[in-house]
Amino acid sequence: MAIPAKLSDECDALYTQLLAAATNSEEGLKKVFFQNDIQHLLTDTAKSANNLLPVLQELQNHGLIRASRLQGAMCWSTRPRGAAEHIQKLSTNERALYEYVEDAHTKGIWMKDLKRRSGIEEGKVQKAMAKLEGARLLKVIRNVRAPAQKTYMLFHLVPSDDVTGGSFFDAGDLDESLIEEVANLIVFHVRMSSWVEQKVPRSQPQHSIEGEGDTVAGAESDAKKRKRTADIEDSAPARKHRSRREDRDMIMTQLAWPANSHEYPSASNIHDFVTTSDVIRASKAQQLSVAEIQGVIDVLIWDDKLERVGSGYRTVRGVSFRPPGFVDEDQEDEDGEGEGNGLTQAPCGRCPVFDLCGQGGPVNAGNCEYFTEWLRHGA
Amino acid sequence: MAQNLVELCTILIENHLGDLAAQIFTTLAEHGRLSAPTLAAHANIPLVRTYTGLATLLEEQLVLHHAAEEDAPTYYSVSWRNAYNLVRHINVVSLVTERHGEAAGQVVKNILQLGHARVGDLTDAYNLAPGSKRDSGVETGANHVPEAVMVNGAAKSQATSNQRVTSASELHSILRTLLRFGILVKVGTRTLMPIADLQEQLQEAVIVDQFPDRKVTGPKKAKEFALAVNDLKRKWRRDDAFSDNSDASSRGAIKRPGEHFNPNKRLKLNGNKPNGHMVNVDCEPSVSKLPLDLIVRVDFTRCSLGLRSQRLQKLAKRPLGSATGAVYGALLQALEDKVYSVRGESDESAKDDDAEKVLPSADLSQIAEMLDPTIDLGSSIRGVGTSKRLPNGTGTDGKRKHVIDNEFAEIGIKPEISGSEDDEPTTNGFSSYRNHAKRVKMIEAHLVLLQEHSKEFCKRARAGSTSTEWGVDFETLTDGLIQAELDTTIAARFGSTHLRVVRLLRERGKLEEKQVASFAMTRIKDIRAVLTELQSESLAEAQELPKDNQRQPSRTTYLWYFDPQRAQSLILQQTYKAMARTLQRIPFERERFRTIIEKAERTDIKGQEQEKLETHERQLLREWREIEERLLTQVSRMDEVVVILRDCSGRDVSLAT
Repeated sequence: MAIPAKLSDECDALYTQLLAAATNSEEGLKKVFFQNDIQHLLTDTAKSANNLLPVLQELQNHGLIRASRLQGAMCWSTRPRGAAEHIQKLSTNERALYEYVEDAHTKGIWMKDLKRRSGIEEGKVQKAMAKLEGARLLKVIRNVRAPAQKTYMLFHLVPSDDVTGGSFFDAGDLDESLIEEVANLIVFHVRMSSWVEQKVPRSQPQHSIEGEGDTVAGAESDAKKRKRTADIEDSAPARKHRSRREDRDMIMTQLAWPANSHEYPSASNIHDFVTTSDVIRASKAQQLSVAEIQGVIDVLIWDDKLERVGSGYRTVRGVSFRPPGFVDEDQEDEDGEGEGNGLTQAPCGRCPVFDLCGQGGPVNAGNCEYFTEWLRHGA
Repeated sequence: MAQNLVELCTILIENHLGDLAAQIFTTLAEHGRLSAPTLAAHANIPLVRTYTGLATLLEEQLVLHHAAEEDAPTYYSVSWRNAYNLVRHINVVSLVTERHGEAAGQVVKNILQLGHARVGDLTDAYNLAPGSKRDSGVETGANHVPEAVMVNGAAKSQATSNQRVTSASELHSILRTLLRFGILVKVGTRTLMPIADLQEQLQEAVIVDQFPDRKVTGPKKAKEFALAVNDLKRKWRRDDAFSDNSDASSRGAIKRPGEHFNPNKRLKLNGNKPNGHMVNVDCEPSVSKLPLDLIVRVDFTRCSLGLRSQRLQKLAKRPLGSATGAVYGALLQALEDKVYSVRGESDESAKDDDAEKVLPSADLSQIAEMLDPTIDLGSSIRGVGTSKRLPNGTGTDGKRKHVIDNEFAEIGIKPEISGSEDDEPTTNGFSSYRNHAKRVKMIEAHLVLLQEHSKEFCKRARAGSTSTEWGVDFETLTDGLIQAELDTTIAARFGSTHLRVVRLLRERGKLEEKQVASFAMTRIKDIRAVLTELQSESLAEAQELPKDNQRQPSRTTYLWYFDPQRAQSLILQQTYKAMARTLQRIPFERERFRTIIEKAERTDIKGQEQEKLETHERQLLREWREIEERLLTQVSRMDEVVVILRDCSGRDVSLAT
C-alpha cells in the first residue's frame, strides 16, 4: 500500500477533534461517530457531505480512523496516532488480522476464530500475529472461560470483566487470597456496625487489658488451646466460644440493637467501606464493583457468617473477623470435630464404608474399628 | 430403604421385650398384616407362644390389631411409629423432667416402661412396697434396653421414684398436669387400631349415617363426604380425649366443667420449678382424683411437638442470644397448647376453605407467665434494660468504645447473661404492676427482634397492627429447622465448602459447573471435586442436557441441583442405620466385659458392689457402664435428628402403616 501524502491540515484538525471527543467520552477509543456527529464537530465550510467524504477517506487511508457499520449506518472510530503509524507499515494480511482483533475490542479474539474468519493459512497467521505482538500492537491475554485458548487483544486495551472473570481474578486465575481478605474485611466492618459490643467484668479485672495491640494473636491462640480441650458435648458454635471464655475474667457480650431501630450496612455501604479502607490496592479497589461485593456477601451468607436483616446485613452472632497475620492452624476444628449433630458425631455418621456395613457382612458393628477408636477417645 | 428401620425396630424390641417379641415383629414387618395362625406358621413359633408374644407387643402398642367384625379373624400389623418410639423414651423423659419436674419425669418413665397403665395400678405401684403384683409388672421392661436393668437394676429406679412421689394426691396432680398438657392421653378402644382401618371405619360410619345411597363420588359429593369424615374424625378424637366431665372422678371430687381445673392453672405458673407441684399439693389438698380405671399412655405426637419447640428455641438462641431464646421458648410453649398436632389443626380446615392461614397465637402476658422469671431480659438488647440504670449508662458507654477498639479481634459472645451483673431485684417476681409492664415490654422487644431475623421466628398475629398477640408460622420454620439439620450434617461430614455449594444450589436452583464456581468464588477444579463428592453421596444431582443427538458427554451440559426432599430421606435412613449399628455395638462391648458383668450380677454381690468387688473390678465395671451410657446417649442424640427430619414437619409419610 502506497504511503499517502502528508496529512492535510483539515484532516489533522478533524482527527484531533475526534480523538479529543473520544477520549473525553466514557467509551474512550471505542466511541463511534456517525456522520451527523462529525458534521457537528466540523467547521461550517466542511459541513456538507460532499466535503466530508474526501476528508474521511484521507483519514482512513492514514489508518487514523476506521469505518464500521452500526445499525445500518456508517460510523467511524478513532485510532491512536502511534497505532496508525504502525498500521501503515503492515501487510494486507496483517492489517486484516489487526482489524479482526480491533473489532473484538475488550472481549479479545481466539486464535482459532482469527484463522477461521480471515481464511488465511495457519502458518501465515501465526507469523503475522507474532509480528503484531512484537510491534506492541497486540497482546495475548488469558481468558478465564477458556484458559487454554490464546486470546488476542489490542495492546492499549484493558480486558473486560467477562474475559478476566472480574476483580477477583489475577491473570486468569482466581485470586483466593484477595477474596479471603475482602471477606474478612466485610466481616470486620459489618460486625462493628451491627452489634454493640460490651465487655462485662466478671470478677477481678486483672486481665482486662489483654488483647491490646500486640497480644491479640497470642491471646487468640491461647484461647484456641483452651478450645481444643473443651467438652465434646459442647457442640453449638456459640457455646464453644463461651466455653473458651469461661475462665477469663471478662465476658464479651454482643448486644443486639433493638429491632427496627438500627440501620444495618447494605451492600453499597459495605462496598464504600471496602474500597475506601486503604486495605486493598487502589487500582483493585477502583475496579471492585458493588455486584462483586454482593457476591462476596452471598458467599458469607452461605458460610453462615452474615445474615440478612431487612435491607442490610449483620454478622451472625459469634462470628468474628480474623486479625491480619493470624494463621488459623486448626482448620480441622472448624470442619466438623465437635460440631454437627447426633448423626455426624457418631462414628457411623462419617464412616467411609457405611454402605458396606451390615450384620454378618465384612464390616459390622462388632468389628468396626471406628467404634473402637470412638469409644476409646470419648469424653 | 425401609430395611434400616426394620433392623432398628427389631433391635429395639429385642432389647425391650426379648427374642420372641422381636421375631414376631420381624415376621409381621416382613409380611404385612397377618392373622395369628398365619403369623405363627410364618414365624415357626407355636401358636400359644405367638399369642403370648403378641400380648406383650400389644401391651406396648407395638402391634395394632383389628377385626372387621365380631367373629372375623383378628389381623395384626406392626406400628412402626410406636416401635421406633421405644428409642425416644430417654428424650421424652428428659423433656418432661425439664418442664414438669423430676417427679413427673419419673412417672412418665414408668408409664413408658409399661406401655400404657391404669391409673389405679400406678397408684398401687407407688404406694405399695416393692414386690407387689404390679411392681413385678414394671420389671418386664424396666428400661428400653434391659442391659441397663442388669447392672443398675430396675429396683433402683423404682426406689428413687418411690422417694419422689410421696402421696397419692401428688401422683394424681402430676398425672392431671400431664394430661392437661397432652403428654399423657387416655387409651381408648381405638388406640390399637391401624390407621387405615380406622379411616375405613370412619368412612363407613359416615356413609351409613349421611349417604344412604352409598354414592360419595363426584366433585360435590366427594367434598361433602370429606368434610363429614373430618368432622367425625374430630368428634372421635374429642371423645377419646380425656376430659373431666366424661371421665368423672370415681371418688366424689369436685367436678369442674370443661378442661379448666384450677389447680393446674396454677401449676402452669410454676411449671419450670421442680418443686412447684409439691408446693401446690401441700397448699391445695383438694386435688381431684382421677378415675382409677382410666388408662393412660404417653402421646408421642405431643412430645415431638415439645421436642420441636426445644429445637426451634435452640435455632433462635444461636443467632440471637439466650435471653431472646428463652423468650422464644416461652412463646413456643404457650403455643403448644393451641396446636393440636405437628401439622396444626388448621390444615384440614384451610384445605376446605381458602381462608387466610390463621396462626396459633399467644398473648404477651401468657408468654410472661411461661417465662422463667430469673432470666435477665434487659441486658442483651441495647437500650432496653438501660432505663433502669440510667446513672451508670454513660459510664459503660465510654468503656464500650474503648473495648471495641482493641477487642474486635476476639470472638466475643457470652450467651448466658447471668443476672449477677445487675443486682437490682426488679426482674424477680411480679411485685408490682409497673415491673410487670416493664417486663412485658422487654419481652416484646425480644419478640420484635425475633421477627426481624431473616428466618422470621415469630410474627404478630394480625399483621400491621400492634396487637399483643404473637404467632409462629410453624410450617415455614419447621422447614427451616430441617434445612438447618441437613446443613449441619453436610457441614460436619464434608466441610464448609460443600455446605456453601449445597446452599448455593438450594438458593439458585439448577446451575452449570462454571456458574457454581463463580457464585461460590472457588476454583472450578475444586468445585468439580466438591460436586462429584456430593453426587456420590446422593446429595447433589446433575441433570444432563445434551446439545445434540449423540449425547456425547463432551457435548452435554450438566445442570447441578440439590434435592432437599431426597437428602432429607437419605439422611433419615442413614440415621436409622447408624442407630441400629450403635445399638448392635452394645452386645459386643458387653462381651468384652462379660466376666465382670456376670460377677456383678451374682445375687450375693448385687447391691453390694462396693464391698464385694475389688478395685480393678469396680474400675472395669465403671468402664463398661460408661461405654454403654455413651452408646445409648449417642442413640438418643441421633433420635433428635430423626425428630427433626421425620416428625416435625408432619408431612413425612414413611411411617404411615
